[in-house]
This record gives sequence, structure tokens and C-alpha cells, in this order.
Amino acid sequence: MFSGLFSSSAADAADFAHLAQASVTFCDVVKRYGDRPVLKGINLSVTPGEVVAILGPSGSGKSTLIRLINQLETLTSGEILIDGKPTRQLSRRALRQLRSRVGFVFQQFNLYSHLTARQNITLALEQVHGWPSAQAHTRADALLSQVGMADKAEQYPDTLSGGQQQRVAIARALASSPQIILFDEPTSALDPEMIGEVLLVMKALAHSGITMIVVTHEMQFAREIADRVVFIDGGQILEVAPPEQFFQHPSHPRARRFLQKVLNPLHQDAV
Amino acid sequence: MLAGFSVITDNLDYLLWGRISAGQPGGVLLTLLMAFGAAALALPAGIALAGLAWRYPGVIRQTLFAWAELIRGIPLIFVIFWMWYLLPLMTGGDLPGALTVTLALAWFTAAAVMHSVLAGLRALPVGQYEAAQSQGFGALQTLWHLLLPQVLRNTLPSLSGIFISLLKDTSLAFIVNVPELTTVAGQVNNRVQIYPAAIFIFTGLVYYLLCCTVEQLAKRITRPAL
Amino acid sequence: MPALDWQGVLTGQPLQWILSGFLTTLWVTLAGALVASLLTLACLGLRLTGGRLGTAVVAAWVSLFRNTPLLVQLLFWYFAAWNGLPQAFRAVVMADHPWSVLPGNVWWFTPEFLCSAWGLGVFTSAFLTEEVTAGLRAVSSGQREAALAQGFSSWRLLRHILLPQGLANAWQPVVGQYLNLMKLSSLASGIGFAELTYQVRQIESYNAHALEAFSVGTALYLLTGIALGLLLTKLGPTPARRRKTNTELRSEEPC
Repeated sequence: MFSGLFSSSAADAADFAHLAQASVTFCDVVKRYGDRPVLKGINLSVTPGEVVAILGPSGSGKSTLIRLINQLETLTSGEILIDGKPTRQLSRRALRQLRSRVGFVFQQFNLYSHLTARQNITLALEQVHGWPSAQAHTRADALLSQVGMADKAEQYPDTLSGGQQQRVAIARALASSPQIILFDEPTSALDPEMIGEVLLVMKALAHSGITMIVVTHEMQFAREIADRVVFIDGGQILEVAPPEQFFQHPSHPRARRFLQKVLNPLHQDAV
Repeated sequence: MLAGFSVITDNLDYLLWGRISAGQPGGVLLTLLMAFGAAALALPAGIALAGLAWRYPGVIRQTLFAWAELIRGIPLIFVIFWMWYLLPLMTGGDLPGALTVTLALAWFTAAAVMHSVLAGLRALPVGQYEAAQSQGFGALQTLWHLLLPQVLRNTLPSLSGIFISLLKDTSLAFIVNVPELTTVAGQVNNRVQIYPAAIFIFTGLVYYLLCCTVEQLAKRITRPAL
Repeated sequence: MPALDWQGVLTGQPLQWILSGFLTTLWVTLAGALVASLLTLACLGLRLTGGRLGTAVVAAWVSLFRNTPLLVQLLFWYFAAWNGLPQAFRAVVMADHPWSVLPGNVWWFTPEFLCSAWGLGVFTSAFLTEEVTAGLRAVSSGQREAALAQGFSSWRLLRHILLPQGLANAWQPVVGQYLNLMKLSSLASGIGFAELTYQVRQIESYNAHALEAFSVGTALYLLTGIALGLLLTKLGPTPARRRKTNTELRSEEPC
């Protein structure tokens, strides 16, 4: 459904203008805040087009992990390879190029509050990617239709519900046809009845060629949509497995305890 | 430059405390007396007015706001002029200039204090007031024992800013020839004529030190409360 | 209560003085506001792009001009700094020129006008810089992160995301500062500048109609303040829009 929106960007031979392979690889990634270690040696390989769900208790470092990919946080040591190329010592321009190829959806939506829904999408197209305004306008409207928000194009974020804002935020992240899209707990700030509309948009996006890495608490989404589940706790990846295997036969004891708490909260002590 | 320095040292005691020996305080001393005097009047008055505005929304609050807008909508110098002419009419006698200016400053500052304390009262979580109500406290008790102690600590940065403004505003006494620091510096400049830079830089420096001291003190006091 | 004689201030020579003073106040307010705005832009630019040195310079500027009284600053500019300017320039200013009169017979190319406008501008710029900085800081960090994640450069981030919202946050205090500038122009009477306050006192010493003159002056300042406040508020950006609570929104969603 979304494949038609992924036209490749104009020919530009600089580093990250177009990724040949939308792969993400973590090599011995360590992140510390002062003395406090948050990630203790992460090794993970995400193949192009894959959908990876990252699960774990709060404080496990899962948000930090994906924020390192587009460098909203910086590495303490180790390396992250995108498209097989190291991303640690990028020039400012190369970093901006990289970020414009990687979409990011925030837990708190972070829509630009002084702009309408449509303007939220056209701004980066015009200012970062240099699109003419008519083209940006058309693209924004197409994306808003795809996420079911076409009638709210002229509305400001403060008149939209949480679920509506998050759908616009996803459309905004998709505007530049990114090859990798990151979701940082996209439904955690939503009221229960709005979670479904966002998950449906994400479901339509999955397996359309874009690499998706999703930090989430939505177990059903992980079970049905993900190709692989990564379980992280205490800053370390404890288990990586396809969803059927992870949810039915988790091998790591901490993963088992986590699943018990989450899936069966009133009977946590039962095995 | 050294020559300029001498004009300061020659006139230093006049600049610092005016003709104190003749019973007429002036200079920095008078500046401080006026500032503290005005603050001593404006603080309780402003708090009382804020309490009234908080307790009685509607006509009383609107009237107080209108009064504050009127006071602060005109230049401070005009407040001084009004006091200068109205006070003798009301009290029948002649008041010393410094006292008139002090009263004008207090009147002007009370409006700012009222706004600041009222904002602080409205910024407190509603639960504070509701808890007091549920225990049967009256409004005055609630204010005095529960709300104002919190509000005054929270609004200390804003209140110290108001006091710094007050310190600077004492310089307006220059316009009505009351001999605080700025007036006195102007007199020295008129007499000596050739070192205006030294005189006014010195004056500015004194105010700067006074204001920064207040700022630092306020920061020191608010920090432990955090 | 003495009888008030309004004729004594609203006719003849006193009226001329009032009008002249009022127009002078308006022109010097405009000039001062212009100087203040330009200096504020310079300070903000320096603070945002000047590195450690730039930030320190702006901090010193702000600290110096906010912690000394405006009157002392005006006295310094007029009595001390003016004499430091080259003699040739001062002579040009003191001489009469046909182009140095503004509508309303206000002479702007005079030491008094120039020092007043400059002094008011410098003083107000220190306050404006802090107000706008506070407005920028109040923009939630999520806005910044979203823009960074989209690949915005620092300059575009400032121009399209931070500045529009920051200025909207700060607009009410900014308007307050410009209104202050208008009221503080009254202090320029202390250096002999013939604006409204000076003229009011002139009437007082001319025919002793103090209360009437003060009333007219008070009314003019009040009305100008209200008019200016309304105008600036209208011209400026609206503040950050209020979010409705979840309960309000849920009841509006179609079933």
C-alpha cells in the first residue's frame, strides 16, 4: 500500500543521500551517562526491509538504543553501521543527510505546534529537501490520505486527538521517503481506544520495503507484524528470536519473567 | 584618568552620605533609606492587596487590577509629581522631599508586588487550598499559615527583581532635586564640570554593585529551598 | 481643593508646548524602539552563534544595562560620552540642517534627541534580549528533537521552528518592554530634552497650573500606552495555542 510512495531521491553522490542497503548494524555499542551505563555492549544486525520489535522493561535502554541510530544521543564507544558505513564521525552535513533518510516517530508526537497538519509535512520537504511548494503540497495531501487524516490537513495539532497527532507524525516521517523508519514507543502516550488507529497505519507500512525498528509495549503488534523480536534488559540484549518462538518458548529466564508480568499481570508468580 | 579619580575621592563622603553632619542624609545612604523604606511599605501593602484580589474575584479584583494598570501605565515620574502636589494638600503641611519620593515609590511598587504575589497564589496547586477548606480553615488563616509562606518563597526571584527596580528608581529623585546618589552626582558634575565620565561611571558602578548584591543574595536564599 | 483652570493649559502657549512635547515623545519613542530592536537582534545573533566569547559579551551587556538606572545611563551618554565623540561630528550635529526636522517640528539631529534615543535603545535592548531568550527557552525540547530528526540545520531549525514559537511566547513581555520605553522617555527631561514631561513642568513654572498640566500629561501617557499596546499586540504573533484536555476531545470524537 505504501510502496508507491517510496520514490528514490534525486541523484546526489554524497555519502548518505541514498542508501544502497537500508541495513543497521550495532557493533559493541556502549552508552554511558557520566558513570551510569545504559547500554553495555549491544550487537545487533537489522537487514533491509526487516521489521524488528524491541521489547523490555522500563529503564532497559531500549529508547536509547534507537535514538543512537539517528544520533539524537551519541555513542560512548562502539560503532553503528548504516548501509555498511560507519556513522560515528560524520560531518554535520553528512549527519543531516543521514537524518533526512531515516524517519523517526516520537512517543510524544512532537508535531510543530505552530503549523497545520499539512504544513508539518511540507516544511521539511521545502526547507531540508528543497522541494517546490506545489509538489510538497501534493505529497503532503497524499500522505495525509494514506493515514486517514486528509480532512484535517488545515487543523493545528492542539485541535487533534493523540491518535490523530501520531498519525500525522507518521505521515511527516514518511514524507521524504525514508528507507529506515524508527518508532520510539509510538502508542505509549495514547489513550487505549486510539492505539488501534496508529497500529493499523504501522501495519500497512510493514513489509513494504522499508526497514522498521519499533520500540513498543504492544505485544500483539510484535507477535503479528514483527519478523524478529529483540528482548533487552539492563542494557544488554538477552534474547533475539522470531515472534512465535519468543512468545511461546522464551529461552532467557528474564524474558520469561517479563512476558509473565506483561501477558498475565495478576498471576505473575505462576510459571 | 587618574585626574578623574581624584574628583571621586575629593567628594567621596558627599557622594556616600550627603550632608549627614548637618542632619541631611544624602548620596548612597539616602538611596538605601528610600529603597528600604519604600520596600517596607510596599511589601505588606502588596501582599494584603494580593490577598484581597485572590479572595474576592469579581468587582474587587477588577478594581484592584484597574488601579494597578493606572499606576503602572504612567511614568513613575508622574506618580512622584502627583504625590508631590497632592500630599501637602491632604496633610496640610510640608513633607520632606525624600519622604514624598519614598511614598510615591511605595505606591508604585505595591502594584507590582500585588501582581507578583497574586500570580504566585494562583500558581499553587489547587489541592493546597482544598485541603485547607476541607479542614475548616477560614480564608485569612489559609492565607497566613498555609499559602503565603509557600508563595513568598516561590516568588522570591520575582520580588527581588522588583526590589532591584526599586533601587534603580530611587534615581528619579534627581528630577525633583532630592539629594540621593544620582542627584548628588549631578551636583558634583555641575560644580566640577570637567570629569563627567569619572563621576557617572562611579555612580553607575555603585548602583551596579548594589543591584548585583541583591541578586546574589536572592539566589543564595532560594537555593536551599529547592 | 483649589479650582482647576483648564483653559490655562489647553490654550495658547501652553497648548503649543503640550503638542510639541507629545510629538517629541512619540518620535523619540520610535527612534529608541528602532535602536533597541536592532541592538536586540545583534545581541541575540551574538548569543546564538558567537560561541563562548559571544555569550559572555552579551551577558555582560545585559548585566550592565539592566543593573544601572536609566537616568544615570542617560546622564553618562549626554555629559560624558557625547564629549568623547569627534569634535567635527559634534559640530555637524549642533548646526541647523533643513533635514533635521521631523513632522511636528521635532528636531532629531540634536545632541539631546540622539543621546535620548540611543540611551533608551541601549537600556531596552538589554531587557528585550532576555525576554526573547526566555521565550526561546520555553519552546519544548521535543520540537527541537523532531526538527533535528528530520535533518534540519541549526539555522533552519531556528528560523522555522524555534523563532516563530519563541517569539509568540515572548510577545506579551516584549510589548511591555516597548511600552516601558515610551514611559521611560519621560526621564530624558532630566537631560533637558523637550519631550512631554519637560513641557508639563514648563507649564507649571509658567503659570503655576500644576494639577491641570499633570492631568493632561497623565492622560496623554495613559492613552498612548493603551493605543500602543493594542497596536503591538495586534501586529504580533499569537501565543502558543492551548491544548484541550483529553476529556473534552473524547466527547467530540464521532461515535
